[in-house]
Amino acid sequence: MWSVVKSVLAALLGVQSNQKREEDFSSGRPAAYFVTGVVITLLFVLMLVFLAMFAAR
Amino acid sequence: MRSRWWLMAVSLAASGSQAQTNGWNMPVGVTDVSSDIYGLHMTIFWICVVIGLVVFGAMFYSLFRYRHSKGAKAAHFHEHTSVEVLWTAIPILILVGMAVPATATLKNMYDSSDAELDVMITGQQWRWRYEYLGEDVAFTSNMSTPRTQISGEETRGEHYLLEVDEPLVLPINRKVRFLMTSDDVIHSWWVPDLAVKQDTIPGFINENWVKINEPGIYRGQCAELCGIDHGFMPVVVHAVEEEEFDGWLAERKEAAEQEAMGVDREWAMDELVERGESVYQSICSSCHQAEGQGSPPAFPALANNEQLINDVDWHLDRVVNGVSGAAMPAFRSTLNPVEIAAVVTYTRNAWGNDTGDVVQPSAVAELIAQ
Ligand code: HEC
Ligand SMILES: [Cu+2]
Repeated sequence: MWSVVKSVLAALLGVQSNQKREEDFSSGRPAAYFVTGVVITLLFVLMLVFLAMFAAR
Repeated sequence: MRSRWWLMAVSLAASGSQAQTNGWNMPVGVTDVSSDIYGLHMTIFWICVVIGLVVFGAMFYSLFRYRHSKGAKAAHFHEHTSVEVLWTAIPILILVGMAVPATATLKNMYDSSDAELDVMITGQQWRWRYEYLGEDVAFTSNMSTPRTQISGEETRGEHYLLEVDEPLVLPINRKVRFLMTSDDVIHSWWVPDLAVKQDTIPGFINENWVKINEPGIYRGQCAELCGIDHGFMPVVVHAVEEEEFDGWLAERKEAAEQEAMGVDREWAMDELVERGESVYQSICSSCHQAEGQGSPPAFPALANNEQLINDVDWHLDRVVNGVSGAAMPAFRSTLNPVEIAAVVTYTRNAWGNDTGDVVQPSAVAELIAQ
């Protein structure tokens, strides 16, 4: 689980080591990556919305 | 407020003894917002300069130091995660660092609440109309550079294309809110020293505001291509001391009342012709030309125009209501009855249109009221 989250966060930043990438592709289910990706993106968007609301106060 | 101080400290440190307006940089301007914007601009400029120096410095140094002729060998490696994270994180921090003061300034720029004076600014092809809301004072502001200077028959004046017959007069030290719209196409009201550049859009009202710190004359232009005379609709703002402004406004109010009374009285022909000539030259001549000769087929001649000469009512109707679907604007709300009566009387008695007709302001007022 933590390894999936780490990979998704790395994708968000755009930096990933080749070793980790190969691990990801050889083990784990794709669905886990999709779902975690969507959830973290939503969280990121919510964080931006919250920040914007805070700045607009 | 804290971010404002931060911003000022950084920009002061960064810009040192920056020259004011030297033509190479944007002006510092005469409002708090304009100097904030200038400060932001300089801060970000210097950040870019430092980044450029570091990045290109490192690049040129490496190119020189590890050049092939000195036997340098390229390193072959695929990735270096920590360096990659570093050069991703640093720009993120820089961007967020710039966004904080920029957002604070933007918020301030758009906060037009608590204004002491409201001015409606309306763009028209090709002039500005200013209305002091709630004060019954309104006028149009036309470029006053003579056409002979534009065509090169006369030498250009000091404020060539940046001078008007009636400037917008504003008080210093008071927050003035602008409500901006347009009667025809999109224009943009732009005065660099006030850091205001706002589109005026037909059917929409945009808001902006200024609080000017120093008295003076500030010039600007229409900044949105709006037709053939786009270059000939300058903006001139006179910022004056508060008492002077109050005196001016009272004077203008009185003049407006006088004008309103002028509608009821009987006007003499030469009075109307004289007034009409100045209205014609400032408003109509851009399309119908100085001698009423027009420029057919786009703009019909008014001189020796049979239909016009034969039919007063038709003539008056064209000017009051315009021609829908054509470039002829309706002047019912932009000129007052005296001005309409004057310009119609003038055109009926100028350039060989010797009808001898006199159109009275009272008749025009009645027509508009219908
Ligand atoms: C933006 C350009 C423009 C301006 C400014 C303008 N006009 Fe016109 N005017 C036109 C056009 C175009 C027509 C022809 C309309 C049509 O298609 O019938 C016209 C038509 C007229 C007509 C009818 C003439 C005819 O033969 O159809 C009169 C009268 C007239 N204008 C008077 C004025 C007066 C007076 C002013 C100033 C207060 C003025 N116009 C300002 C563009 C302009
Ligand atoms: Cu314009």
